[in-house]
Amino acid sequence: MQIVPQLDRYPRLVALAQTNIGKVAAIAAFGLLLQLNGSRVSLELTATAGLITLFPQHRKLLLGVASACWLLFYSGRAGLGLIQRVAAAEGFQTGPALLCACVLAFAGMFWALGLFLRMVRRQRKNLIGQRPVLVMIASFLCLLMAAGVAPLHGVAKLTLWILLALACPYLWLFAYAIADYTSKTPDPYPGNFGTFFPFWMGSATPIGKGAAFLRKVEAHTPDDLAVSQLKAIKLLIWLLALNVLLVAIRAAVYGSAPVVIWTCCKALGFRLPSLLAPTLEAALDQSAAGTRVPLHLAWASVLMHFVEATLAMTIKGNTIVACCRMAGFRIFRNTYKPFYSTTVAEFWNRFYYYFKELLAEFFFFPAYVRYFKKYRKLRLIAATIAAATLGNMIYHFCLNIEYVFDLGLGKALAGFQVYTCYALVLGAAIAISQLRGRRGPAGSLPLHRRAMAVAGVLAFYCLLEIFDYDGRSHTLRTHLAFFWNLFSFA
Amino acid sequence: MNDRLAIRGYLQKLLRQKGDPGGFTDSDSLIVTGRLESVDTLEVVVFLEEQFQIDFADRGFDQNDLDSVDSIMSLVESR
Repeated sequence: MQIVPQLDRYPRLVALAQTNIGKVAAIAAFGLLLQLNGSRVSLELTATAGLITLFPQHRKLLLGVASACWLLFYSGRAGLGLIQRVAAAEGFQTGPALLCACVLAFAGMFWALGLFLRMVRRQRKNLIGQRPVLVMIASFLCLLMAAGVAPLHGVAKLTLWILLALACPYLWLFAYAIADYTSKTPDPYPGNFGTFFPFWMGSATPIGKGAAFLRKVEAHTPDDLAVSQLKAIKLLIWLLALNVLLVAIRAAVYGSAPVVIWTCCKALGFRLPSLLAPTLEAALDQSAAGTRVPLHLAWASVLMHFVEATLAMTIKGNTIVACCRMAGFRIFRNTYKPFYSTTVAEFWNRFYYYFKELLAEFFFFPAYVRYFKKYRKLRLIAATIAAATLGNMIYHFCLNIEYVFDLGLGKALAGFQVYTCYALVLGAAIAISQLRGRRGPAGSLPLHRRAMAVAGVLAFYCLLEIFDYDGRSHTLRTHLAFFWNLFSFA
Repeated sequence: MNDRLAIRGYLQKLLRQKGDPGGFTDSDSLIVTGRLESVDTLEVVVFLEEQFQIDFADRGFDQNDLDSVDSIMSLVESR
């Protein structure tokens, strides 16, 4: 049963979307749906998508300009809070001079990337030429360690933290840019800036991967563009339905509904029934403080956290996918029917596709083609651990570098124990799942076995979510105690 | 010609195992269109290592090289 009509499969609608009226209607629908889905930058995204739709022949230029504006006015501010804190701690002014220094450093970073890319292509024989992504990630980690342990002060410390804070959100975009530049048919840099650093990027994980992938899925005819845009609109309609579901579930479990709904209910004299369960974070806080959370509420918070995390991931990731499709790149969904998964590895693939692809590209395959080649099973286990455990940990440690500034390197590493445990269990489970092999095409299992397999996979990920925590406030002991309490029915 | 047929046959077998009986031409993208996933790429890697003695550690690994029969053929020819 299709909840959202397959708009892109109606030939008359596809033809209409290629006319001027159809294009305007598609842009309007896109903007309205973005707004309804809660996007805070719907106007800017709609304007960009609108220009690309009306002037597809200038797509490359428009993408480049949009990306530059996006980096300068929105995304580039990501590390500014941390930089201001470092500056204040070192006794510097946090006003316009610091902002100017950041803008200069930001431009310098992209210029340095260009130099690095040229160096990679020229020096194919040494480590930089053969393992450029590894060199880049290792350099970032070394700088981060130096910032955490070296007794630096004043300008040196501020400069180092400016570099780290500005580079941190783009680390994996740089990695894809390097991977594309070392391929056989690279896009010129910075000529194709718009596909190296696309304007729709709202996450540290490059959704739509890199320029090489985008080049392959780009719409080249008006018909392709219309189909891609109708797919974007269809996806946003589906996300709207999920958003409504998320609001309803939050109201029913946490008792937190938007003000509009509360006001309406109050006016009608209707009281929303709610379980008033704590969020998982609140339940863990209570547990850490020594207060035992009632069993039914603890289970409700765990189940709800899993459902909420899945819905939130679907909505956030697929909104970015919709923007990418609207710009004429027909990429896969980020989250696709995760609750249909019959194996742990399949869920991992369906839940957060572009994160999985990132780990596969930069950790799994490099390990798989190099180590334990004579031992097929060991090879698979090692590569899976390299990606789902090691790569996953590196990604999340580099994502939250402010902990290194706040706590120092030692405490930031020690506080990472909960996520380390999560990544280890996840890596081991995916490795076992891959060793057991695939279950065959969908529908090949009898219904009851399929239902059992799906339930097992969901139960595993639901409980594992308790440890999916990259903050530093709780210890592993707190999470383990909460986990065990779920099964103490006495 | 035999190499091309062997590669084609292997990809066809892989797709059939996934419940995808559809046909494909030598230039059709299989990874970009989602017909083959990362986990299938592993099997193609092992196949190429065993059948054609390709060492990806030496030459570098790029998923795009395994996207179609044509791209795999150029990989095999350039070994």
